[in-house]
Amino acid sequence: MVTCAPPPSEASENREERARAPPTPPRDYKSHRAPRSRTLRQGKMADTAAAAGAGGSGTRSGSKQSTNPADNYHLARRRTLQVVVSSLLTEAGFESAEKASVETLTEMLQSYISEIGRSAKSYCEHTARTQPTLSDIVVTLVEMGFNVDTLPAYAKRSQRMVITAPPVTNQPVTPKALTAGQNRPHPPHIPSHFPEFPDPHTYIKTPTYREPVSDYQVLREKAASQRRDVERALTRFMAKTGETQSLFKDDVSTFPLIAARPFTIPYLTALLPSELEMQQMEETDSSEQDEQTDTENLALHISTDDSGAEKENASVLQQAPSLPGSRNGEENVIDNPYLRPVKKPKIRRKKSLS
Amino acid sequence: MPPTGLEPTRMNRKKGDKGFESPRPYKLTHQVVCINNINFQRKSVVGFVELTIFPTVTNLNRIKLNSKQCRIYRVRVNDLEAAFIYNDPTLEVCHNESKQRNLNYFSNAYAAAVSAVDPDAGNGELCIKVPSELWKHVDELKVLKIHINFSLDQPKGGLHFVVPSIEGSMAERGAHVFSCGYQNSTRFWFPCVDSYSELCTWKLEFTVDAAMVAVSNGDLVETVYTHDMRKKTFHYMLTIPTAASNISLAIGPFEILVDPYMHEVTHFCLPQLLPLLKHTTSYLHEVFEFYEEILTCRYPYSCFKTVFIDEAYVEVAAYASMSIFSTNLLHSAMIIDETPLTRRCLAQSLAQQFFGCFISRMSWSDEWVLKGISGYIYGLWMKKTFGVNEYRHWIKEELDRIVAYELKTGGVLLHPIFGGGKEKDNPASHLHFSIKHPHTLSWEYYTMFQCKAHLVMRLIENRISMEFMLQVFNKLLSLASTASSQKFQSHMWSQMLVSTSGFLKSISNVSGKDIQPLIKQWVDQSGVVKFYGSFAFNRKRNVLELEIKQDYTSPGTQKYVGPLKVTVQELDGSFNHTLQIEENSLKHDIPCHSKSRRNKKKKIPLMNGEEVDMDLSAMDADSPLLWIRIDPDMSVLRKVEFEQADFMWQYQLRYERDVVAQQESILALEKFPTPASRLALTDILEQEQCFYRVRMSACFCLAKIANSMVSTWTGPPAMKSLFTRMFCCKTCPNIVKTNNFMSFQSYFLQKTMPVAMALLRDVHNLCPKEVLTFILDLIKYNDNRKNKFSDNYYRAEMIDALANSVTPAVSVNNEVRTLDNLNPDVRLILEEITRFLNMEKLLPSYRHTITVSCLRAIRVLQKNGHVPSDPALFKSYAEYGHFVDIRIAALEAVVDYTKVDRSYEELQWLLNMIQTDPVPYVRHKILNMLTKNPPFTKNMESPLCNEALVDQLWKLMNSGTSHDWRLRCGAVDLYFTLFGLSRPSCLPLPELGLVLNLKEKKAVLNPTIIPEAIAGTQETTSNPGSHAQLVAFQNPFSNSQDEEEIDMDTVHDSQAFISHHLNMLERPSTPGLSKYRPTTSRSLTSQHSSGCDGTPSTKPQWSMELARKGTGKEQAPLEMSMHPVAAAPLSVFAKESASSKHSEHHHHHHHEHKKKKKKHKHKHKHKHKHDSKDKDKEPFAFSSPASGRCMRQQNGGWCPVTKS
Repeated sequence: MVTCAPPPSEASENREERARAPPTPPRDYKSHRAPRSRTLRQGKMADTAAAAGAGGSGTRSGSKQSTNPADNYHLARRRTLQVVVSSLLTEAGFESAEKASVETLTEMLQSYISEIGRSAKSYCEHTARTQPTLSDIVVTLVEMGFNVDTLPAYAKRSQRMVITAPPVTNQPVTPKALTAGQNRPHPPHIPSHFPEFPDPHTYIKTPTYREPVSDYQVLREKAASQRRDVERALTRFMAKTGETQSLFKDDVSTFPLIAARPFTIPYLTALLPSELEMQQMEETDSSEQDEQTDTENLALHISTDDSGAEKENASVLQQAPSLPGSRNGEENVIDNPYLRPVKKPKIRRKKSLS
Repeated sequence: MPPTGLEPTRMNRKKGDKGFESPRPYKLTHQVVCINNINFQRKSVVGFVELTIFPTVTNLNRIKLNSKQCRIYRVRVNDLEAAFIYNDPTLEVCHNESKQRNLNYFSNAYAAAVSAVDPDAGNGELCIKVPSELWKHVDELKVLKIHINFSLDQPKGGLHFVVPSIEGSMAERGAHVFSCGYQNSTRFWFPCVDSYSELCTWKLEFTVDAAMVAVSNGDLVETVYTHDMRKKTFHYMLTIPTAASNISLAIGPFEILVDPYMHEVTHFCLPQLLPLLKHTTSYLHEVFEFYEEILTCRYPYSCFKTVFIDEAYVEVAAYASMSIFSTNLLHSAMIIDETPLTRRCLAQSLAQQFFGCFISRMSWSDEWVLKGISGYIYGLWMKKTFGVNEYRHWIKEELDRIVAYELKTGGVLLHPIFGGGKEKDNPASHLHFSIKHPHTLSWEYYTMFQCKAHLVMRLIENRISMEFMLQVFNKLLSLASTASSQKFQSHMWSQMLVSTSGFLKSISNVSGKDIQPLIKQWVDQSGVVKFYGSFAFNRKRNVLELEIKQDYTSPGTQKYVGPLKVTVQELDGSFNHTLQIEENSLKHDIPCHSKSRRNKKKKIPLMNGEEVDMDLSAMDADSPLLWIRIDPDMSVLRKVEFEQADFMWQYQLRYERDVVAQQESILALEKFPTPASRLALTDILEQEQCFYRVRMSACFCLAKIANSMVSTWTGPPAMKSLFTRMFCCKTCPNIVKTNNFMSFQSYFLQKTMPVAMALLRDVHNLCPKEVLTFILDLIKYNDNRKNKFSDNYYRAEMIDALANSVTPAVSVNNEVRTLDNLNPDVRLILEEITRFLNMEKLLPSYRHTITVSCLRAIRVLQKNGHVPSDPALFKSYAEYGHFVDIRIAALEAVVDYTKVDRSYEELQWLLNMIQTDPVPYVRHKILNMLTKNPPFTKNMESPLCNEALVDQLWKLMNSGTSHDWRLRCGAVDLYFTLFGLSRPSCLPLPELGLVLNLKEKKAVLNPTIIPEAIAGTQETTSNPGSHAQLVAFQNPFSNSQDEEEIDMDTVHDSQAFISHHLNMLERPSTPGLSKYRPTTSRSLTSQHSSGCDGTPSTKPQWSMELARKGTGKEQAPLEMSMHPVAAAPLSVFAKESASSKHSEHHHHHHHEHKKKKKKHKHKHKHKHKHDSKDKDKEPFAFSSPASGRCMRQQNGGWCPVTKS
């Protein structure tokens, strides 16, 4: 059991609070809890750490136990963290601590630091960089609820303990590259004492790109299957996200039919199918353009007509749904009663006269 | 009896050229129609009309006008309030709620109701009393102005509102309204003289929302805003005298397009469709030019308007100076298939502008002239536009249609002459409706009528030459246009009405030829000619002995006497012979020109002067005959069944240049599945000069031949290598070229060939795997990216091809269709259909052709037992709000489901839709489809056939469809198909089966059952013992299906009728029910029919049982039916017999007719019965495990059971 009174100073209270509840979201705990093998190993490490204990000795013995260099590396890191935790505890005025609580605090610290690293990485990747910058870290800390402004002051505190850098343990060694292929034996004219040929891939030409497919059949095949795959995926997606109908009562998923949905104006989709719109986008129909100019000619007559007759009506005329915007120009006059301006009621005219 | 419309015409004939005499005691000169207010929300219309009339008799005190549906507020004559009576007998045809349900009775009553308001007989629904103050005024024959205020609220016919339920103002929503209807239906939306023969000038005013446009007949004089500037009034003037029936209206937020070629022509379409409108109408001016040129007459109206609207009643409706089209005719330049169809519609409507709108008809019996001329000049346009081949093909198609229809249902009479009251010689006694009025006609009959009219016009042309023909038309038009510019007082307006006699007169004036025999044969008489031909070659005499027989006794046929052209292709050339078909001569000797000279290598001259090399090795060595054609010019309305050897048909197919001959030989070759036929068909398929429609039908023939030759067929499946050669890549034959539809002929062939190929079957009667893979590959590799045209029709046909490849599923035991036991081929098909149908939701195709094909294919899969039969999917697609083509396809599937699964629920659903659907066309179409593919027929036992259904349908035609002539006639057609002419067999015996006639001391059959039932003797009826004898006396082979055949003319027969009815209650298939209580007879019949399903028992059994029971039991069935006699009031009988009197003649005749054919029919029935039995059994064959296994064992392989 830990028998320690809470430290009196304010600063220590702050720190403890931080240590107790790091503002990391719960998923991070989960991620740290995750693999069983790791907890086992941690258990082992905990043992060794306990052996090292607050005394700080026996480091060697721990390292001796493990044989794997990678494990060694992790152990060292862990040990450093433990030292940090212990010194912080000392700093906070603890005389002694139980092994389990030191272990827990270490674990929390490790989680916290890992989270900072992970978040910082995310922020840096978000801005399309690979190297985190200071600002990434700052944003991360802010995001985690840490008041960054207090950091410089904390760093300069008087009673802080300086911990020596952990000894550089050997990094995990990358295993030797595999030899690929059979080394070529020396041709007869080369004496056998000369060095061996290097791996074949180093000198044999291996094109890294594929020949562009020019075979008509394959192309068609590919285009067809691609289109089919896209259509299938698209329709399946639509079917999954919306209401469906099925041909088989017992099975809804194999042949899902997107449910029939009535339109408010059914003829519009039928006569102006979006399928054709897409096709028409690719082509520009010259005849269509010719016709366009025709109507423009048509429209201009209206403008001349109404400007001559009744200017008041001009604005009203534009409201008429059928008449496209008018433009002045040629004198191709079409007399059609539906293009004539709408007259004003007669009685009003009389009023204006009188 | 009111005078029929024809009487004036006949008088006219006697008097000569005096002109038309109106059936009315007044003459209409001018009418104002003013609609002040149109409310789209409430679907209501408020307005008034003002008719200017001149009395023609001095004592005119009542004026009859036509008006239906309108609520009339107030009538004033010359500003004086006038009393009026409104009576419309067509609202409910049979008033008394009698249980007779006899269609014969209904048809008579309906015809009587229609003539009671027929304007051609001077009648009308609205009768206005001329105020007494004006009598003196009338006596001076001075002008009367009748002012009628009316309104319409939610009209069910005549005007159709389309109001989409979305947000926004009515204009933004694309709401519109238009007038519609079948024949003279203008009375549905304003009071008028709704006759084609009452012409007058018009002033039309419509006040509509400022964002809307009102399109109507005549010239738009001006458009004026209302005071609040929110609405505007369109003022139209129509100075050319026009019948009210040709007045129309369309109001909506239309986009306006002035025709760039003819500025007096304006086109209107709904918002957003302007680009389509531009393209669609860009061709119209050429049609104008063509008609004006051949008729040497300018278009009679000063302007022309086309309006394209949604939910159209018919695709094309022509009115004076404007035509209303379905918006679904609009298309863009990328659509191939719709283009010719739409152009045809435009041309058709324009032809009707000249004949139908400008020139109107005197009476209903002159209708054929107008339809004939407009159809004929439309045909000339077709010939010029699409070529002679297309024209001849069309003529042949139309000829086949009319021949098939007349042979099936009896004759179509173009010019019916109705003697006043002499109903005995009713020309249409074979029909279940009256042909006296357009409004009583079945729609199908009317379509065929139009078809026959233009064919007869063509026959007249054959006789008098086209030049004279056009001169006649020109004469009619120029007379009419002179008349149209005259003031009313000159009485010239009747020149604008065409009559049969006037038309014939101008033909004889112009051509100097007597065409009376031709008219007598085809116009005054119904029926077509049926020839059977065969021949023998007499080598000694070098003579072709041709035998031509006629069948003129079957219904719908007539005897032909006169010239008949026969063309004989010999080695030396083609020779025409004109034979005289006479009364008794069957054999005709035709001398041959050439001796058989097959060894001399010489080219053979054809009819068109071309000389060709032929391989003559297939020929008969002794005969110089290559082929023979009877009536090659189709100058008789006939069906020819001609026998000639297979090689002759093959020569005809290869070398005859006439498409009709080619078509005929293709049809004939179906019966000769030989390698030589195969070769001939393949050659024609490949020949690019050959008409594409011939090549298309060659595809289907080839498929049929291949199936007949399945055991000896060598090489790849028919057409596969051909298709590969024509449409696939050279390097990789399994991949189709990217689409390029520039050549329309090959496009149509490319579309058709896979559809025909899918009909191929192997020895197990399955579609060969190779073919299915081939079609699936076509779909897979279809690539339209570089095409100028849309491929939606092509893809739709590929789905049709998939559907064609489906064969009935083999079901091991009676399992439920699930995914697990799905045939792998079907799985592939289903995969495609699913994908296509889903893609349609994301990228819809033009007119949703692909959805339509998918729905049809799904129904085929259901019907063949691959997919569980279920109408739910179709019902969702049939809902209002889907595109009309989709709805029709879905409804067709539901109709089919109703038939196959005998579902009462779906039938009710369909009937409900007939009554409630917002689109008149869909309602009409459902009835039509139900009639074509009925859930049961009058000769069939069905659980669906019950009293409630009879009542429902009766109600539908009696009163439920009074707002739409076409719909009512459709309901009558359906009723006829389901129940026949007399009392429906599923009805229980009416309570008053027999009544006593105390005066004569006789018991008679209740006259409410059959009007002319004749009394039986009391003796027989009171003696139950004799009843059994009667039954035994009956034809032992007859069964319940013969019910309507029972003749009511004799005592014996009427008794037989009763005993027969009792028999129905007596059937052994409903054991354990108390059979003799008439009160329970209702439930009995319904139960019986369900119990009896599929296992029809034969008559002798029942009668034997009846005989036993009759003698053994005290309670005889007859006594029970006598039971209500005491309660039967005599007055009922008296009333009924009086009401039935007027139709007695008709019935009499009818029964004589029947008697004559009775024997003949019995045979038929018998055969039919067997057929239906077999059909009934077939489902068992499917589901029964025993039979399924049995089939397998027999064939030693996977053998499906085919469904016929």
